[in-house]
Amino acid sequence: MELLQPLLRSLETGSVYALAALGIILVWRTSRVMHFAQGSMGMFSGTAVAFVFDRTGAPLWASVLVGAVVAILLGFAVDFAVIRRLRRATAVGKEIVTLGLIMVFLGLAPIVFGTDPLLLPKAIPTGDLTLGNANLSYNGLLNILLGVVIAAVLFVVLQKTKIGLAIRATASNESTARLMGIPTKTVTLLAWATAGVLGMLAAVMIAPTTTVTPTFMNTVQVTALFACVLGGFQTFYGPVLGAYLIAIASNFLKLSVSSVWGDQILYLLILVFLLVRPNGLVGKTYLKKV
Amino acid sequence: MSNASAMAVRVARHPHVRFLVFGAVLMTLPALASSGIMMTSTLSTLGFTLIYAIVAMGLNLLLGYSGLISLGTAGFMGLGAYLAAYVQDDLGLGFWVAVLAALIVPTFIGLLVGVVSLRVRSIYLAIATLTISEILLKTFEQAEWFTRGTAGKQSSYPVVLGIQTDRSSMFFIIVVALVLVMMLTHNIVHGQLGRALHAMRSSEVAAQAMGVNVLTYKLFAFAVATMYAGLAGALYLFFLKSSYPSTWNLFLSLNVVAMVVVGGLRSIYGTVAGAFVIFAVPELILKELPVIGDTPGLPYIFSGVLIVVVIMFFPQGLRGLTDLLRGLVTRRPSAAASEQAPEEVAAR
Amino acid sequence: MTDVLQVEHLSISFGGLKALDDLSFTVGDSEIFGLIGPNGAGKTTVFNCITQFYRPDAGAVWFAPGADRLARAGHHGTDKVDLVGVPVHRVIKHGLVRTFQNVEIIPELSLIDNVLIGGHIDFKASMLAQMFRLPSSRREEAALREKARGALAFLSIDHLADEPAGGQPYGVRKRLEMARTLMAEPRLIILDEPAAGLNESETEGLAETIRRVRDEYGCSILLVEHDMGLVMNVCDRICAISFGKFLAEGTPTQIQRDPKVHEAYLGERDDV
Ligand SMILES: Nc1ncnc2c1ncn2[C@@H]1O[C@H](COP(=O)(O)OP(=O)(O)OP(=O)(O)O)[C@@H](O)[C@H]1O
Ligand SMILES: [Mg+2]
Repeated sequence: MELLQPLLRSLETGSVYALAALGIILVWRTSRVMHFAQGSMGMFSGTAVAFVFDRTGAPLWASVLVGAVVAILLGFAVDFAVIRRLRRATAVGKEIVTLGLIMVFLGLAPIVFGTDPLLLPKAIPTGDLTLGNANLSYNGLLNILLGVVIAAVLFVVLQKTKIGLAIRATASNESTARLMGIPTKTVTLLAWATAGVLGMLAAVMIAPTTTVTPTFMNTVQVTALFACVLGGFQTFYGPVLGAYLIAIASNFLKLSVSSVWGDQILYLLILVFLLVRPNGLVGKTYLKKV
Repeated sequence: MSNASAMAVRVARHPHVRFLVFGAVLMTLPALASSGIMMTSTLSTLGFTLIYAIVAMGLNLLLGYSGLISLGTAGFMGLGAYLAAYVQDDLGLGFWVAVLAALIVPTFIGLLVGVVSLRVRSIYLAIATLTISEILLKTFEQAEWFTRGTAGKQSSYPVVLGIQTDRSSMFFIIVVALVLVMMLTHNIVHGQLGRALHAMRSSEVAAQAMGVNVLTYKLFAFAVATMYAGLAGALYLFFLKSSYPSTWNLFLSLNVVAMVVVGGLRSIYGTVAGAFVIFAVPELILKELPVIGDTPGLPYIFSGVLIVVVIMFFPQGLRGLTDLLRGLVTRRPSAAASEQAPEEVAAR
Repeated sequence: MTDVLQVEHLSISFGGLKALDDLSFTVGDSEIFGLIGPNGAGKTTVFNCITQFYRPDAGAVWFAPGADRLARAGHHGTDKVDLVGVPVHRVIKHGLVRTFQNVEIIPELSLIDNVLIGGHIDFKASMLAQMFRLPSSRREEAALREKARGALAFLSIDHLADEPAGGQPYGVRKRLEMARTLMAEPRLIILDEPAAGLNESETEGLAETIRRVRDEYGCSILLVEHDMGLVMNVCDRICAISFGKFLAEGTPTQIQRDPKVHEAYLGERDDV
């Protein structure tokens, strides 16, 4: 079996999952909310990109900029109007709210953007890179680079900058961080907006392979959640690692075991893996304080 | 004499008797439909509402009493539906075996998923069930020998106790099932099982210290929820006489979450009311509205916004509303008693 | 006199922090034993290691559950078991039950239902019998409800039995937590800061209650408390720790005179 070709393909989809998963983990670490609506919000702003591109004839980069603005505003709105006001709700309550948000965005998309399926082209329409026996389209290369570079930039920001420190402090203990004078509200607001942009980018990257409908981000959503489970919820890089691993495993399972059931088998394998390492690949076991 | 009447009052007050009365009232609906007072399509809608009330009752046990989320409801319900069709129509084994299969198989699968995910962290149950639901959905599309794939599985009204059922008699069966489920749920939540679930949700450490095996009880609640979903799936199939894979998607699961939340966590009648608001109101009322009536996605927004608004502002759901009304009408004597308590304690 | 609890060489660390360091002490039969130490000394951690919420890195927790419990659990030829490694929810079956520093009751349930949680291990009817309210399950429920009422009465809060626990004042909730421990017919009750948040007269009542529980239930009591008045008044023996390490052990008078204890508390509080 040729290995390089499926590997390159996996890196491409892995980048999509990695960006979506980064959004989920950012929100989880700062707001302690399992962001089930990450895919749906990405779907909404991604559809906005396709809509602007299709209706105004604006260039793709401009449409993506509009999409980013939409994503940021949505992130702000959700955190400001909903999540922030849920201080007294239980963790489950917050989770349920993000489930409700899935439905809200799913219902809003056809109202705002119409019911006709939209199309979004690749950022780089043609051109291939030949690497030995394998091919990689320029667009594929761009997607891989986007995933890796954005993840890397985020890590640098988290590790080296003041805002990164604020995010990490909020992540490790929200109330202590607040007492230390860290503007935790701004931090969560930023986290939600960043998650929104990451979801939008994931949507724009996956869109050319399909049609833009309200459900086109479903697989990304499920896979991104699983990337977090596999990578563990305690670090920022775990989910990214998980995302690439899932993409690679999925591609090889589809090639060598079953083209129809590859993903399903993989999900089951991950669930079984949890029995061995309950906190994921890079998650530490932690002791709940009693 | 007064003894006998006191007894009568006690019987009438017994929650199980109230469930029976509630069921009896529902049983009059098919008569309304056949006499033309109510449209038959309305009867169908109400029948499905009651079926969803059964599923939601299970999720309420899980969510309301044990604080766990399952996103696999649609998958398990669909599995129940296809199993019922397969057992009745393909294997020819009849109604009861079909229902039994729909109860047992999803519960078994659910338990497996639960054992794996609940050992880790409660929230993993949501993700694991979401995945199982996706896998089941894919199975419904692919396993043509079992489900006829996207073409859809056709079935027929079952023969129950030697009687060929029709739409009205299936409605009766649904009501009977609902009343049984209400009684069973009531028994669970008002006994030690319910107390243990309460304890677990409210303080897992205290529950453990008191000897509650948390994993067992989480699995118990999840198993019951899955069993109700399987049952509801079978009833759904027999009432509609067909099943298509697209029915059993994530949004059905989310709608069931909405029913529980809107109806009010930990409320049996509230759950029925929640099913009515989330399923029947869009069908019977929203669709008929002028101008916005046929907006695409309206039912989704309706459910989604209700979930968010209820959690934010009315965490008690519809149950809170009835409590509020009751509070306006009667002043509970116990409220006065608890106001006195602090002084008594201080005086000691 | 047999010992109910022997804690031997207990150690546990969290990351770099050594929360307990080779700690040993012994609680005798029908003894009221106090564990004291400044904030963060590791007192709650000791309790968590005994009741298996935390698994100690090293050491043993020997517990003598009494002959009948041992026989029921199938232990023969020994009078004590090492609790380390016993699943958390099984600890209570040995007759060891605890309260929590931040009062863990179930606010939605009535007082009596809260107490019934304490009798959880006595519900022997199967899940199915409970779901269908079979006569066996109903009888059991009625009997335990009676017992729970007794426990509430013992703490003089039986008049509130059917009130929701959530709306009760702090003092009542603390007593409720205590009542819940009585359902287990304990050999040893562990109390984590039972007097915290109580006013002076309530604290006096508490000392009385602790003694009554010991006398009438014939059990031992191990308690952590910052209120030195209470500790000195009610405890037979006291162990003082600081930064997870053993400092001193002895009668209240001995502890009060111990220079190491004074040093540990210096600047912390001066009422020792
Ligand atoms: N699960 C845990 N993870 C990390 N550190 C912990 C954990 N549990 C306790 N600690 C640490 O162990 C030390 C001892 O804590 P512990 O709660 O036992 O103190 P304590 O003596 O009960 O204090 P207090 O009087 O304030 O209740 C503290 O530094 C605490 O932060
Ligand atoms: Mg403590």
